Amino acid sequence: MFDLVAQSILSGIGVGAIYGLIGIGFCVIYNASGIVNFAQGAFVMLGGMLTHAGMTKLGLPLPLAAIGAIAIVALSGVALERIVVRPLWNRGSTMFVMILATLAAQIVVERLTLIAAGDQPRTLPVFTDLPPLRVFGFAINFQFLWIVGCSAIVIAGLALFFSSTKTGKAMRACSINRDAAALQGIPVSRMLALAFALSAGLGAVAGILITPTQYTAFNVGVPFAISGFIAAIVGGFGRPLGAFMGGILLGVAQALAIVFLGAAFKNVAALSILLLFLFVRPTGLLGSAK
Amino acid sequence: MNLPTIISAKGRGNLAAWLLWGLAAAFVAYTFVAGGYLIAVLHFACIYTVFVTGLNIFMGFTGQVSFGHNAFAAIGGYTSAVLTATYGWDPLTAGVLGLAGALLCALIIGYPVLRLRGHYLAMATLAIGLIVYEVAVQWDSVTHGYMGISGIPPLGIGRFTVTSDRGILIFLMIVAGLALLSAAGIRRSRLGRAFVAAAGSEDAARALGIDVARYKLIAFMISAAYAAIAGSLFVHAVGFVSPEVFGLPMVVLSFTMLYVGGIGTVGGPALGAIIISVLPESFRTFKDYQDLAYGAALIVILIYAPRGLASLPELWAKWRRRAA
Repeated sequence: MFDLVAQSILSGIGVGAIYGLIGIGFCVIYNASGIVNFAQGAFVMLGGMLTHAGMTKLGLPLPLAAIGAIAIVALSGVALERIVVRPLWNRGSTMFVMILATLAAQIVVERLTLIAAGDQPRTLPVFTDLPPLRVFGFAINFQFLWIVGCSAIVIAGLALFFSSTKTGKAMRACSINRDAAALQGIPVSRMLALAFALSAGLGAVAGILITPTQYTAFNVGVPFAISGFIAAIVGGFGRPLGAFMGGILLGVAQALAIVFLGAAFKNVAALSILLLFLFVRPTGLLGSAK
Repeated sequence: MNLPTIISAKGRGNLAAWLLWGLAAAFVAYTFVAGGYLIAVLHFACIYTVFVTGLNIFMGFTGQVSFGHNAFAAIGGYTSAVLTATYGWDPLTAGVLGLAGALLCALIIGYPVLRLRGHYLAMATLAIGLIVYEVAVQWDSVTHGYMGISGIPPLGIGRFTVTSDRGILIFLMIVAGLALLSAAGIRRSRLGRAFVAAAGSEDAARALGIDVARYKLIAFMISAAYAAIAGSLFVHAVGFVSPEVFGLPMVVLSFTMLYVGGIGTVGGPALGAIIISVLPESFRTFKDYQDLAYGAALIVILIYAPRGLASLPELWAKWRRRAA
């Protein structure tokens, strides 16, 4: 029993890192604009689906297909910002209208993917096809190492971007006070587009990393987006590092729910954690970012 | 200086609204006489009128947000389906029990959820819709999972049942009419004025002595009741229920209807429900294209005509000014 629990905690950490990446995507957009982008799941789904399409339709090797997919998804993030968010933003729409519009965009992307690619679930080959490592009797497969390693690199890269590049600092300035940032000559609207590109790219990375261990299909986006949102809430909305920790917490909790309650309770457990946090501690574990 | 434009725009707006209502009425009359497949479309429109009217009370009147009212439709619908198809209950008794169940759930859920605001409220309600969907999928012994429940008996009381397509349509139109009338009654009552006051400014409403939290909960429960009734009507009219019926596309669809018809207006839900049900049918498109069209239409409406068809005349006037 102990082995089983430890093993599922390990796999929970892997899935949780993915939730964390998606959660960070929520935070990046929220910090730059105060918008909660409910189409975040579409990016995750597109990342996996486009990589698969690149490999099977164009015969590209995995790394090339993955990079291509991330670039295309980042561009689609900018397109979402330009076509859907920007007009509403300029008119000063309410938060609710923004949520509704991005949720509708999620459905549109989902249905377009269904029409273009069909409803067959797809999967990607594991990145390193070797038998799992044995450490203290625990099996650690290489995809887990890829997920944890890539997440760590992405987070370190983001931290560096926000702390030491001019663009990153400008984005942080926007999150503190948009008006003041604009007065300093920061192109706030361009920062918004950049935030969507960054967030979409993060989603695509998460989608590509998780697909070899699960599968992807046109409709996987919403569950991933919900998990990412829960991760962001648990971490205190708007704190990227908190979102990542929240993601791992959620992943582990889900893994334990599967062991003790059965696989059917995976999503119910996640949603219950969300409601629990919303009711008891809506500012998250670390407290609110603002 | 632009006063005449506004007045003429308003006049034309009334004209456009009457025209649309006339078209809708003509369509209903034509379908009723001609019969056939379009009757099923109108069944759908009537049921959604009830559902969207409930949503309108909570969102249009009271200014709150719910992405999870499909949960209450599912509770009402599944209670009706299980009790009548599996246990042979009378549809009316089953429906009333479903309604009571949905009200109880709305009370228990609403109490903590309605303290939330903004995107927290949006996400919490979305989560409730997804939890109920998940339960419908996983509770195999009662709901038969994805397979769904078939063989649900038609509407009726005791030995008297409504089975003909036209009979069902008349019944559903009466229910939809009652839903609209009751919404109009609520809007004019002390209750409705309290809802609108809370939507305008919670602080101001509180200063006037309105117990905002209580009224929000009441609005939530009333709208849940409409949703549960719509759910029960649906399973009896179609004779089949599966979790997909009450999925996320239902939420987007009902919001599209609400926005097309005009959020916050009493008659809007009916107009939106008829137009949105009929339009895709006239193109005879596939299911996949339908959801795509609803989503895209909703985005366009939110961007260009945020007050639904009511804002069309303004757009027209603006366009004229630009052209001139």
